[in-house]
Amino acid sequence: MAGLELLSDQGYRVDGRRAGELRKIQARMGVFAQADGSAYIEQGNTKALAVVYGPHEIRGSRSRALPDRALVNCQYSSATFSTGERKRRPHGDRKSCEMGLQLRQTFEAAILTQLHPRSQIDIYVQPLRGVVSLQVLQADGGTYAACVNAATLAVLDAGIPMRDFVCACSAGFVDGTALADLSHVEEAAGGPQLALALLPASGQIALLEMDARLHEDHLEWVLEAAAQAARDVHTLLDRVVRQHVHEASILLGD
Amino acid sequence: MFFGVLCLNVDGKLLSSDVTHYVIPDWKVVQDYLEILEFPELKGIIFMQTACQSVQHQRGRRMYNKLRSLLKDTRHDCILFANEFQEDCYLPRERGEALEKWQTRSIYNAAVWYYHHCGDKMPIVMVTEDAEAVQQYGSETQGVFVISFKDYLDNFWPDLKAAHELCDSILQSRRERESENQEGHGREYAEHLLPEVLEAGIKSGRYVQGTLNVNKHRAQIEAFVRLQGTSSKDSGLASDILIHGMKARNRAIHGDVVVVELLPKGEWKGRTGALCDNDSEDKVSGEAPSEPMPTGRVVGVLQKNWRDYVVTFPSREEVQCQGRNAQKILVTPWDYRIPKIRISTQQAEALQEFRVVVRIDSWESTSLYPNGHFVRVLGRIGDLEGEIATILVENSILVGPFSEAQLCEMPVNTPEKPWQVSAEEEHQRRDLRRTHLVFSIDPKGCEDVDDALSIRTLSDGDLELGVHIADVTHFVAPNSYVDVEARTRATTYYLADRRYDMLPSALSADLCSLLGGVDRYAVSVMWQLDKTSYEIKAVWYGRTIIRSAYKLCYEAAQELLARNFGVADEIPEFKSLDEKSRQTRLEELAWAVGRLADVARHVRAKRDRCGALELEGMEVRVQLDEKKNIDDLIPKQPLEVHEMVAECMILANHWVARKIWESFPHQALLRQHPPPHQEFFAELRECAAAKGFAIDTRSNKALADSLAKAEDPGDPTVNRLLRSMATQAMSNALYFSTGSCAEEEFQHYGLALDKYTHFTSPIRRYSDIVVHRLLMAAISKDKKTEIKENLLSNKDLEELCRHINNRNRAAQHSQKQSTELFQCMYFKDKDPGTEERCTADGVIYSIRTNGVLVFIPRFGIKGAAYLKNKDGLVMSCGPEGHLEWKPGSLQRFQDKIISTTMGGDSVTLHLFDHVTVRISVQASRCHSDTIRLELVSNKPYEVPSSGLSSPSPLLLKSDLVREVTRCSEEAQLAQEVAVDTSREEYPEYGQTKGRSLYALLEEIRDLALLDVSGDYSI
Repeated sequence: MAGLELLSDQGYRVDGRRAGELRKIQARMGVFAQADGSAYIEQGNTKALAVVYGPHEIRGSRSRALPDRALVNCQYSSATFSTGERKRRPHGDRKSCEMGLQLRQTFEAAILTQLHPRSQIDIYVQPLRGVVSLQVLQADGGTYAACVNAATLAVLDAGIPMRDFVCACSAGFVDGTALADLSHVEEAAGGPQLALALLPASGQIALLEMDARLHEDHLEWVLEAAAQAARDVHTLLDRVVRQHVHEASILLGD
Repeated sequence: MFFGVLCLNVDGKLLSSDVTHYVIPDWKVVQDYLEILEFPELKGIIFMQTACQSVQHQRGRRMYNKLRSLLKDTRHDCILFANEFQEDCYLPRERGEALEKWQTRSIYNAAVWYYHHCGDKMPIVMVTEDAEAVQQYGSETQGVFVISFKDYLDNFWPDLKAAHELCDSILQSRRERESENQEGHGREYAEHLLPEVLEAGIKSGRYVQGTLNVNKHRAQIEAFVRLQGTSSKDSGLASDILIHGMKARNRAIHGDVVVVELLPKGEWKGRTGALCDNDSEDKVSGEAPSEPMPTGRVVGVLQKNWRDYVVTFPSREEVQCQGRNAQKILVTPWDYRIPKIRISTQQAEALQEFRVVVRIDSWESTSLYPNGHFVRVLGRIGDLEGEIATILVENSILVGPFSEAQLCEMPVNTPEKPWQVSAEEEHQRRDLRRTHLVFSIDPKGCEDVDDALSIRTLSDGDLELGVHIADVTHFVAPNSYVDVEARTRATTYYLADRRYDMLPSALSADLCSLLGGVDRYAVSVMWQLDKTSYEIKAVWYGRTIIRSAYKLCYEAAQELLARNFGVADEIPEFKSLDEKSRQTRLEELAWAVGRLADVARHVRAKRDRCGALELEGMEVRVQLDEKKNIDDLIPKQPLEVHEMVAECMILANHWVARKIWESFPHQALLRQHPPPHQEFFAELRECAAAKGFAIDTRSNKALADSLAKAEDPGDPTVNRLLRSMATQAMSNALYFSTGSCAEEEFQHYGLALDKYTHFTSPIRRYSDIVVHRLLMAAISKDKKTEIKENLLSNKDLEELCRHINNRNRAAQHSQKQSTELFQCMYFKDKDPGTEERCTADGVIYSIRTNGVLVFIPRFGIKGAAYLKNKDGLVMSCGPEGHLEWKPGSLQRFQDKIISTTMGGDSVTLHLFDHVTVRISVQASRCHSDTIRLELVSNKPYEVPSSGLSSPSPLLLKSDLVREVTRCSEEAQLAQEVAVDTSREEYPEYGQTKGRSLYALLEEIRDLALLDVSGDYSI
């Protein structure tokens, strides 16, 4: 069998998308009543749930409180059944910690933390990629991006003031072409992969991460592809928020 | 007409709407009959994505790439429809449904959709091998026909004979294979290991990966694996790996990428140093092989590089001995390195007299020989056209006449409607028509003038040197039909008697030829030189309009350089002028030529000073290598103008290389000439030592200097032979993409330049076209304007370089082979005993255990002469130095070979001894004929003085070609009268009728060589 062709001569990717095309995105806000804010997002087969509590008083050790701004506490835990590899601990392992830190960096840049000094905001995210809703267990890529997008919606749902949406998307590089929003197959092929969180209105970058070798000349294109994809995500998320607000206002019987 | 093929293709390739139907092949048809679908006659083919994927998964990369290139090729009327990505076409596979059934169902469904998509106007034919599918879907939808492939060919293409034959032969070979699999004979070869095992083995260092090279002279026994990439460093192997015997070769064919397991040291073998014939299959006995080298056996084939092979069917008598199995016939490939191929055909009788193309299908471990199928007939054995076609096929050269679509793209230039400079271009280009004195220097009678020169004094006293190259890219847009064709050809092919142009003659001989007195577009490089030191102060690149004032030939330019104005009569431009203006113009031109020579001398000296070499202009020689054989040993013509023009071209190439590399550091096309391996010089050093010369090969300069010193006053051939040995020890210069290797590797050893490329001959080299486009892009990048064309990425460029290098090699081989063909035809049917010209003077240039290698300067032939024949007799010296066969023994030393007879007399032959040899032709039915040399005397050959009006001592190559051509034409005429039937099977070559320009050029070359080579024939 010949090797997998990530990008065909006709410009199709393995799942039939074009290079710059996103997977289908569906999202909902306010999925839990108990939490201050919550959201659920599906990007292709990757699914993520985010819950936000706060701002509230510092819990646990008071010494952690910051005098001038709120403490953003992010926890990432993957559902044990969600990935190809089965593990016991849902959180606390190296990978989850790293992801938690990255999310924290991202949201510290976006939330106006100085409005809530000496308090704490908790963000819990759980990617549910490959829920066993079908017979086949599907694992699909772009966990970080889905988590950020879900968390953005959840923070908005909680009514915490932010500078802007934070929209994230991944991008890769195959055969001289930048691919937006990588799926699991494309991630697993081992090419360079870049994760970008963007504040779309200002175009500022909240987080940029890449841990593979990529030629300097190509970085610009890949970055542009990821940024464009993030802007596309923003359009979709914005629509979701407006829809949510619209529904809420009807319910409140304005 | 509306047949929207929207959403189907990104390359803008559209199916033509003027066909009667569209055809959709089922997956199985694509897998098995792709060769037939490749016929250009079949039009309107839609490949479904489902079918392509089945090829990708089940037939391997090679086949899939073939399909991909078919789809990309704009000359083929076929497209891909991504049916699985189309919402209405996609069908999920049902539970328990076989993959094959689902594929067929998907394809049918997509065919129906497509039919409706085209507004129910265009009938769709789906061809399948699945009888059930024909039953099931045959009458389901009106307008969508489902039939078998055989029926399709019968009904729609009854006249396409070639396709039918190919179809039959594929069917038959498949049937054979199936029946063979059921029978399951005893195993002849070990099974290949699984790909995963091979990959793991290569990574762990247990196995080695490399390309298999079969020894042409001992095809049955010896093959070598050239190591690839890093594996050679890991395993610590310096040399190639020997694969001894067919068993160890394990079904790998010459050119395949194989995986080799090394044998334990105890089983290592050495290569044989003896001369031997391929036809005698038995090994040379009593032969002590040289020291053992790493030996291995093939455990798997990573990549099969099978191509079309030219074969010959066995003659009638031989068939009878194979008679047990009349259906299957063993045919012998023309190339010695390819094993015999088993063909199933019923036409064996009819094909006996012909050269035939076949393809290999498979090689099972149970079979001694590979299975193949018959593809097409080339021509009669021994017939000139047939043999030339054979050479072309064997080198995978495809050159038909240019198609109408390609010619339609050409601009018109007829007397009624002459081509003119357009106003728009005039505005954009720098106009040099009035400001510069531009002239070209070329061989006499040359029609395709690539380059022109100019020089003038600027207002501040500095000089301005200009090199102007025909602007081919203006006429050849990227990805136009002509461009695609030129890219496929990659170069103009020169055979001994004809040439196949890369571009249509409308361009190559007319609009892109910088002829005298007409306006032409050019790409120019102009340097501003300091008035005294000739240092380069500034350089300008750009598109220009020029009008060449004079079209000089080399000889005239040389006369002007010597300020010998008598030559003016020969320059046509001066004819119509009156005496006075003629004199001033002549002065002007002579000044320009003189100044150019001055500058060229300086540039050359500067290159030499920078540790450069004086190796007879290596680059020029590599170019001339296409004309190998004879030219190889003839030093460059001594005219200074040659060197002057060459130097200007090298300068232009160098500066363009710098420019495009600076602008596009990762995607520029340059040319490298890697420094040679020192061990390859061993033979050269030994040979030179035999004559008492020391050759220093440590650097290119040292080599050139010591070669210059190694001059034997009594025998000029010595120096030539040494030089040719040095050339052979070096690797070829290659094109590469700058993104694919480190900057230190860019250097050009032969020219001693850090960067070099080919820019000056876009008419006959595709690489130059690419460089022109790069240069244009670099200029627009400087101007900050948008780059119009899409440049090739590093990866694409690398692939293109590989293709061009590969085609250049094919061009060289085909040229060499065609020259050999002509030599053989010349000597054929001459009785070597009586015919005077069959005896000639030869020089020994290499000693082997049972013979010597001899070079014959008069004909430019190199060959082997035996001192020991098959019966074990050796050469002995008879009266008057004549040699005859007697029983005895041979003793080989470093620089001499001694043959001693039982009687005690002995003959000693030294390196560089002159001997007399008799030339005869060894005819061969299945292969090309070969020249055979036989030692007649160990004294130099004396030209018999009896005939006072003896013919020219040096046989001109063009004479040889002409004579052979005439003979073959006569033979063909005779044949035509006798049999008129086989006429249409001769391939038509549209380009070379009558006296070709090439023949003309060759004649001029020969004239120029006469005085050089005449002196040693006595």
